[in-house]
Amino acid sequence: MFLEINDLKKSYGNDSNRVEVLKGISFSIERGEICVLLGPSGSGKSTLLNVIGGIDAADSGYVAINGERTVDMKEKVLTRYRRKHLGYVFQMYNLIPNLNVKENIEVGAYLSDKPLDIDDLLKTLGLYEHRHKLPNQLSGGQQQRTAIGRAIVKNPDILLCDEPTGALDYNTSKEILKLIEEVNQKYGNTVIMVTHNDAIKNMADRVIKLRDGQIRKDYRNESKIPASELDW
Amino acid sequence: MNLRFLQVNWIGKGGGKMKNPLNKRLPREFKGEFAKYLSIFLFMTATIGFVSGFLVAGSSMIQAYDESFEKYNIENGHFVLDEKADEDTLTELEKEDVTIYPQFYIEEDTDVNGNGKTDSTLRIFENRTDVNKVCVMKGKMPKNEKEIAIDRMYADNNNLKTGDTIEVDGKKLKISGLVALSDYSALFSDTSDLMFDSVKFGVAVMTDEGFDSFEDSRIYYSYAWKYDKEPKNEIKEKETSDDFMKVLAQHATIEKYVPRYINQAINFTGDDMGGDKAMMIVLLYILIVILAFVFAVTINHTIAKEATVIGTLRASGYTRGEMVRHYLAIPMLVTLLAAIIGNILGYTIFKNMVADMYYGSYSLPTYKTIWNGEAFVLTTVVPMIIMLLTNLFSLVHRLKLSPLRFIRRDLSSQKKKKAVRLPKVKFFTRFRLRIIIQNRSSYITLFVGMLFANILLLFGMMMSPLLSHYQDEVVNNMIADYQYVLKAPVEVDDKEAEKYCVVSLKTVNGDKEGEEISVYGVQKDSKYVKWNLPSDGICISDGYAEKYQLKKGDTIVLRESYGNKMYGFQIKKIVNYPSSLAVFMPEKQFCETFDKEEGYFNGYFSNTKLGELKKEYVASCITEDDLTKISRQLDVSMGNMFYLVNVFSVALSALLIYLLTKLILEKNTNSISMVKILGYENGEIARLYLMATTWVVILSLILGMWISTVVIGGIYRVMMSDYSGWLTLYIDPKVYVEMFIMSMAAYLVVALLQFRKIRKIPMDEALKNVE
Repeated sequence: MFLEINDLKKSYGNDSNRVEVLKGISFSIERGEICVLLGPSGSGKSTLLNVIGGIDAADSGYVAINGERTVDMKEKVLTRYRRKHLGYVFQMYNLIPNLNVKENIEVGAYLSDKPLDIDDLLKTLGLYEHRHKLPNQLSGGQQQRTAIGRAIVKNPDILLCDEPTGALDYNTSKEILKLIEEVNQKYGNTVIMVTHNDAIKNMADRVIKLRDGQIRKDYRNESKIPASELDW
Repeated sequence: MNLRFLQVNWIGKGGGKMKNPLNKRLPREFKGEFAKYLSIFLFMTATIGFVSGFLVAGSSMIQAYDESFEKYNIENGHFVLDEKADEDTLTELEKEDVTIYPQFYIEEDTDVNGNGKTDSTLRIFENRTDVNKVCVMKGKMPKNEKEIAIDRMYADNNNLKTGDTIEVDGKKLKISGLVALSDYSALFSDTSDLMFDSVKFGVAVMTDEGFDSFEDSRIYYSYAWKYDKEPKNEIKEKETSDDFMKVLAQHATIEKYVPRYINQAINFTGDDMGGDKAMMIVLLYILIVILAFVFAVTINHTIAKEATVIGTLRASGYTRGEMVRHYLAIPMLVTLLAAIIGNILGYTIFKNMVADMYYGSYSLPTYKTIWNGEAFVLTTVVPMIIMLLTNLFSLVHRLKLSPLRFIRRDLSSQKKKKAVRLPKVKFFTRFRLRIIIQNRSSYITLFVGMLFANILLLFGMMMSPLLSHYQDEVVNNMIADYQYVLKAPVEVDDKEAEKYCVVSLKTVNGDKEGEEISVYGVQKDSKYVKWNLPSDGICISDGYAEKYQLKKGDTIVLRESYGNKMYGFQIKKIVNYPSSLAVFMPEKQFCETFDKEEGYFNGYFSNTKLGELKKEYVASCITEDDLTKISRQLDVSMGNMFYLVNVFSVALSALLIYLLTKLILEKNTNSISMVKILGYENGEIARLYLMATTWVVILSLILGMWISTVVIGGIYRVMMSDYSGWLTLYIDPKVYVEMFIMSMAAYLVVALLQFRKIRKIPMDEALKNVE
């Protein structure tokens, strides 16, 4: 099993304000799968993604990648682990405002000993003509493509996407989803994508529905369709 | 989107590790915030440059000064006798393992500008070839009896140059050269003087014939001595000189006995240059700490602004160390650049400026610039370390949060932060209070920086009025226009003349052991000394009381100047006599205390010049000129420095206000944009955001003035304790008003710039950043 999540529990606040966000989540994912975590706001899906990414700690339970438990890792080791294995894409892009498109992607490349060729990647992302532009000169879709470029340039084992289309319009969202799908097919990265858009589940190999910190549904999608055919 | 072109090319293949792409931000950051970094850079460069120049010039000149002891064979001391010593006496004295050199001199009234009036006094020596040798700075030594070589600084202060003619005791003499006498690096006419006076007192050398041509003048039989074997340390030197004085007293009547270690004309320069160095370094470091805090506050703001990016980078695998190094780069680069350029300027422009300042105060021999490794470390390495530590501490603390906290923009260090409850005041007032609370770290830095600037400004601005006030006080409280000290009790018929007695004693404890105190015995019902003197006990001058922190009822102990006999007195009154550290008692008590016959006197107070007193009977005559020399000299040597300090302080205040106000506005750009959308006008917004800063600036100024006064009081006491005598600390109230006006004027300029900035903030700013 490539990624194993076992009985994860997580709560915020204390005493009377205590909110249980994850109430014992367990599942596992195979290498190269696209897994969509679905659920309404407050269902715990972003928290789950952050715990998988090692940027948040669970109260109990564990996450293991290739048998290595992140819970046992000290901060430095955890940073090295993220550096080597993970790529992050957020809803709000989080690009560095005074670096241009190419340089923002270089920020990701720097973390890897064997990054992808940046110019080729820029062409693939459709950003080659915009490579000298600063983030504030780009549309939302272009910014998100840059963010994806920054995440995948180091060719991570797992690409974690937190509402990657949350701030985009329909057409741009589909472009981004197609790109994620192509990356997955080409490089075999495992993709874990958090979304509240129910339609996106159709492009996933695996769908996990969360509500109130618990898994309500967990199934393999037998009738997977390409991202280009998604509709909502 | 098609991935068919996407090939995996590994950059790592033989290409080595790529450079951190975040570094590409640095030049853009510099360009984007050019005015900010340029102003910090210029300020730091100027300060480092000045301090570096100060240290380089200082150390080169101190080395020249130290070497001058050997190079010019400076005396171990000198004494003045009432008459020329005969050969037998000198032979007897030289048995004490010393070599004696005659250094006779005359003191002559001099007219430097040919207007027929005496401007100053020249102490003229025969050329010295064995001891206290002469350094020719310009021109040449006198060749005949019509030529004279005068002190370089005295010449500068009186606008004289080689080739000019001066009138000395009625004789016209041509200046053949400008010289520095190695035993007069500070032109003290008497070692007990509070300050030297290089305007009205100078030294000169003439040929033997020239010297002899002043036939009628009183010759001061001064003899310099050198130990055959130098004492090992100052304690030994003191013991040896005390022993020698006892022997000398057995063979001759001593008028003056000045071992080198108490000779201000020789030592003052070295002590003063060393003292300045410590002060300058401390000032530089305080400034660097303040600027380091400005950087720390600025970086904190940048981190808050870029929180989500930092979170993403950390989540992607960037280490905390990489982020710390990235944010440290700019302050370190600015400091490094300022240190390098500052040092280049230090060795070129500032060094000459400082050397000119020293040459304006002291009569130093020529010097050669020497590489000063210590100055380099103090002005380059130490500022870098201060900058590094201050920002490292702040950054490590700031960046220790988890990546998630950054992504969520949850940067507060406390878990739950409750809003501070404010009193029920007007909305605008509450709004401003919220701004102050939000930006408290910026405002604290502003307060500390302004306090430092205020201390400097108060120091720079108070000195001129203080000196004028002292001068007025001295003149207003002079006992008499002429105060003669006699060598022998000579009677005069002048009705203005009133006899008095005086003796010099020395302090035995306190801040400065061995400081000279004049003890006066005053006639009953004196028309000059108006204070009612107690029949038992004494009055002391207020300066004496302040310097040694004495009060009525205390007992003081003084000792003989050239002996070990001790005298104890009880203080009955403290009187306003700022001219010197003095003790007053009735004549009768004086005679009893010092074992003098009734009717003894050795001086006259008089409001007119006592023409009938022959020169040879007068040991000295104290006039207004003598008493006001300190204010004159300090003004000559420090006047430009005070001005520089004032400009520096106001510029520092303006810089800090500019940087921190700018930061506060940047922090609130979104909010300002939002209130614009809501319909607020630029003026209203300025009143909200700038008024908060105005409050802090005014409060900082008022509190700063109060704290500065206390701090300056402490510094002044330490500073003055190094001098002989005492200048009462007086801060003219007008100085505070001027300080307030100057600082507020600087603030207004900055506020106008910031108002322009507020006007330029677009309304869509708030819409762009909806995160």
